[in-house]
Amino acid sequence: MPISRRGLLVGAVIAVMAVLPLAVKSSFALDIFIRILLFAFIGTAWNLLGGYAKQFSLGHSAFFGLGAYTSTLMQIDLGISPWIGMLAGGVAAMLASLPIGWICFRLRGPYFTIATIATAQVLMLIFLKLRDFAWGAEGTTIPNLGNAPLMMQFDGKVPYYYVVLVLLLVALAITAWIGHSRIGYYLLALGEDQDAAEAVGIDVPRVKRDIYMISAFLTAMAGTFYVQYIYFIDPNTAFNFSISIEAALVSIVGGVGTLLGPLIGTVLLETTSALLQSWLGNLAGVQVTVYSLILMAVILWRPTGIMGYLAELRARRR
Amino acid sequence: MVEIVAQAVINGLLIGGIYALVSIGVTLIFGVVKIVNFAQGEFVMIGMYITFFLATQFGLDPLVSLFVCMPVLFVLGVLIQHFLIRRVLGLNDLPQIFLTFALSLLIVNIALMLLTANYRTVHTAYSDEAFHLGGLYVPVAKLIAFGVAMLLSALLWAFLRTTDLGKAMRAASQNREVAQLMGINPNRVFAVALGIALALAGAAGSLLMPFYPAYPMVGQVFVLMAFVAVVLGTLGNVVGALIASLLMGIAESLGIQFVGADSGLIVVFLLLLVTLAVRPSGLAGGHTR
Repeated sequence: MPISRRGLLVGAVIAVMAVLPLAVKSSFALDIFIRILLFAFIGTAWNLLGGYAKQFSLGHSAFFGLGAYTSTLMQIDLGISPWIGMLAGGVAAMLASLPIGWICFRLRGPYFTIATIATAQVLMLIFLKLRDFAWGAEGTTIPNLGNAPLMMQFDGKVPYYYVVLVLLLVALAITAWIGHSRIGYYLLALGEDQDAAEAVGIDVPRVKRDIYMISAFLTAMAGTFYVQYIYFIDPNTAFNFSISIEAALVSIVGGVGTLLGPLIGTVLLETTSALLQSWLGNLAGVQVTVYSLILMAVILWRPTGIMGYLAELRARRR
Repeated sequence: MVEIVAQAVINGLLIGGIYALVSIGVTLIFGVVKIVNFAQGEFVMIGMYITFFLATQFGLDPLVSLFVCMPVLFVLGVLIQHFLIRRVLGLNDLPQIFLTFALSLLIVNIALMLLTANYRTVHTAYSDEAFHLGGLYVPVAKLIAFGVAMLLSALLWAFLRTTDLGKAMRAASQNREVAQLMGINPNRVFAVALGIALALAGAAGSLLMPFYPAYPMVGQVFVLMAFVAVVLGTLGNVVGALIASLLMGIAESLGIQFVGADSGLIVVFLLLLVTLAVRPSGLAGGHTR
């Protein structure tokens, strides 16, 4: 009974993640767990577009930044709670994904990737210029209200952990649902071969647009969470290219187009990064050097990622 | 006003020559090997550091370093083709995109570890020299860079037109299977394409050094420019990339002059996005959905 065994496994993983903060009290460790869940969440959002539809974006920081700025502007200028801002940011990113997708989907393969990089860079440069509307290059600190759960601000790190855990579970649930729905099969088909998918009657542009909107919405929610967590926003934080890179990286290392790939990839990469940091301190370049070596190794030897490797092992055992 | 515009056009055109060296490399690799080299900017960076060390250790003029940089990077290109790119040919988009992307991250971050993020500059006798043409100002170092860039582009063009190897490369870029049937060895052609492309990037590095600082992330500016130029100039088209690069240099320079110091890239990216919106196949038609 493969389905129930899989269900059991997923249940066990969720249970472990839910009780983890009860066992781990160190603020340093919690910070790493929050980072893992956050990037697993962003990676899961990226995976919908990159993993299933095989449209490899390196511009997801655009949506992360839009989410971060929307909620922060609403909070500081209008006093609206970031909980609402988070949804508003998602909507803003979703709307932004329409023109961005309209332009970028005109290109295929690597040139789609480049166009997404360009749009994210343009957005960052625009926010650097917006001095009157959005604090320009200096950015702003987000007013610390103490323990204000209604404003997404908490004492200690544990509540943040649960917020981002819920976000991740929602993204995983959406992915699981899409994987088994009609759009999931459309995505698989167009990921394999766009022309063939079109030939059998799939409305390829529409499917791409829809999945891009969902992916953008989720990524924007991560942006709101992140700036609430670090109490600071500037264009370089919110639109940082490294967010786009890590979103793709964790999914590829874990296994593109698989439900748990981004989570597993993030656990591996972030743990490696944390270990490196405790051994070598904050030496510039070390973390990404190791990341890129891992990425290269995966591409050359295991293009299906860790999940693909596990599936292979299982098949061999039978 | 006319003078300000003319000055901006001159500045842009001169730096556009450097963009052209990088773009021609990208478009050559794309045309022949069908791979987008995300790491092309990093080879400019390597060229700059080689030039920097030859200048500071041995007092070599950057223009002399050109003759060191180009062969070294040619060999590096052949090695990268042999050990990395060859292994992802014929595979799907994911390995093809992310292999060179990983290579780019790797080179930048190794440079960051070994060389720190500090800016390195080389000062030559002609670094501050300039011609004055009427009210216009033409910096000598940039003029030399532009001249050498145009010379190298012309040499490459002649190579592709007249030599057997060049013709083989053009044939391979038009139709790989047929070229193979005609007895062209694709691995050799690919290795030469990578070698030439990297040598051009290395040349760009040497030429930049008298007036541009070297730092680990310096390649990003050039590679983004090159990507835009390659899309605008129609993918795989060497002359298209050259013309687009010069135009983009000018567009960037006008952007800096009239919108603000940090607006050059915005202007160039907007140019790309607008072009994609109205003419998705580039200025001369090409590979799109």
